[in-house]
Amino acid sequence: MSIGKIYEKTRLWIILVITFCLPLVVSNNYWLHILNLGGIFAVCTLSLNLLTGCTGLFSVGHIAYYGIGAYTAAILSTRFGVPFLIALPCSGLVAMFFGILLGMPALRLKGLYLAISTLAFGEIAYKVFLNWNEVTNGTKGIRGIKAPVLFGINFSTYRAYYYIVMIVLVITIVLMRNLIHSRVGRALLSIRESEIAAAAMGVNTVLYKILAFAASSFFAGIAGCLYAYEVHFISPESFVSQESTTVLAMMVVGGIGSIAGSIVGAFALTIIPEVLRFVGDIRLVLYGAAIVAIIIFVPKGLGGFLEWLDQILMGKVKKQIPEEGE
Amino acid sequence: MQLIQQLIQGVSLGSIYGLVALGYVLIYQAWGVLNFAQGEVCAIGAFSMLELHSELGLPVWLAMPVAMIVSMAVGYLIELLSFRPLENAKGTSRLIATIGVSICVRNLLRVIFGADSFAFPSIFGDKPIEIGGLIVVPQNLWNTAFGFGLVILLNLFLRHTRVGKSMRATAQDKEAARLMGINVRRSLTNTFVMASAIGAIGGMLLAPVYLFNSNLGSVIGTKGYASAVLGGLDYASGAMVGGIILGIAECLAVALGSSAYQSVIAYIVLFLVLILKQSGIMSRKKGVEKV
Repeated sequence: MSIGKIYEKTRLWIILVITFCLPLVVSNNYWLHILNLGGIFAVCTLSLNLLTGCTGLFSVGHIAYYGIGAYTAAILSTRFGVPFLIALPCSGLVAMFFGILLGMPALRLKGLYLAISTLAFGEIAYKVFLNWNEVTNGTKGIRGIKAPVLFGINFSTYRAYYYIVMIVLVITIVLMRNLIHSRVGRALLSIRESEIAAAAMGVNTVLYKILAFAASSFFAGIAGCLYAYEVHFISPESFVSQESTTVLAMMVVGGIGSIAGSIVGAFALTIIPEVLRFVGDIRLVLYGAAIVAIIIFVPKGLGGFLEWLDQILMGKVKKQIPEEGE
Repeated sequence: MQLIQQLIQGVSLGSIYGLVALGYVLIYQAWGVLNFAQGEVCAIGAFSMLELHSELGLPVWLAMPVAMIVSMAVGYLIELLSFRPLENAKGTSRLIATIGVSICVRNLLRVIFGADSFAFPSIFGDKPIEIGGLIVVPQNLWNTAFGFGLVILLNLFLRHTRVGKSMRATAQDKEAARLMGINVRRSLTNTFVMASAIGAIGGMLLAPVYLFNSNLGSVIGTKGYASAVLGGLDYASGAMVGGIILGIAECLAVALGSSAYQSVIAYIVLFLVLILKQSGIMSRKKGVEKV
């Protein structure tokens, strides 16, 4: 068996093992926190990727679902003492409810107009977080979200929580992958390519668009819940509309429509600002410039670059070269 | 009376929104991309004004054109570095690139000016005048005058000058314009630089209204593109209509007694308008699609 074959068979396991061992090597709490945030944003970016990358429905207010999920989890946990395992799906479901609520009128809209209406939704959600004092505690935010306890284990350290984030991320990846490669996924892709053609082929575009909104907002809500348990304190400032553009940037930098890309993009854009911390205040200037540079010089996104690397490691690129020479 | 008062306020605010929106529409028509960095260009205009007028003590009539030139230079740089290399890229990529630019510029402003808020000099004085029981601040009148005046000037420019005509031709159809011997490259740049100049004026006029700090650009930007879409991106004067509707909606929200939810009401109006007439109020586009 050639090295390429072995690599092809084992690459998934290699990645899983690295993911599992990473917190054992990284001992710094700060970096573990960054990794957790990266994983949480990866879930959020994957959810956006389903809506925007696969179905072509542009969302510029995605952080609203994430925020709704986070607030649901925080309120359930601090006021009603609901355990993590119940709060997690609940926050997803509440976000999904709002996703469908926005999705239904937004079905009439296309392209930029849809984008603006989702932006409007994001702004409204932020203002509600900020001003609905009775429920969201306004600018002061909600503090004291206790770390999850599962099966008698307290996941209060970043290292322990890392595993929860990664398990949720892996489940999300598997579900997304299965969804995209199923009949539903193909219907979504056909809507992205041409709605009229899709409808002519018998795809129920209304149903599938709402489905895309529902599934996407559900996972964004899950990501929000993970975030609430990660930082133990949430305030409206975490859900401003700039954050939506950050998630959008993660998706594009990773490569639109690609699952691997979304994950890499999320981790890259979470880690880049931290790595740049040594340059001081100017780091966010460089961060903005880095986004532009990646789009100009790596048009297919980081995910596209990884796929190319993947092909080379599997030895598939080498085979094609002599064919071209013939 | 209260209502009329708020309407006047709304029209005044809205005409500046319209001015900012005009920058978005011009760039959208020429480049086919909503430029999210436009808000930052407006902020640069405002910050240059602050620096030139308050710090260096230049008189308003001199500081204003200089600030516009600064914005135009920055606009030119943005076009050169992030729009030109991506001319043939996918729409989403270009959109995200403009977001990257806006992050870059906003933080550059924060590095230079810090995160604190500034008191922006009132350019036109703020001694209120009473007209028939209504209290009007000169700033309001000037804002409206500037907004409408510039839109009219711009329309005249686009219709009656050679440069303006070639800009319009480029926006309509690049290939055809090129075949007619128009320098499309230069027209695109002209459009961008002109949009930056208009944005700078919008930024200067809006700066006293909002908390004036390095986040100004994103606040202005949001209002600007909301107005632009509201009015219809394919129709330049639509921006003005969109801006005024947004301005009035915001001010009426205050009159109805909920300043906390001011922008919520504005966005709900935006949302409803989009659902009722999806390509903007003034759009004349027919909804025929082909596969």
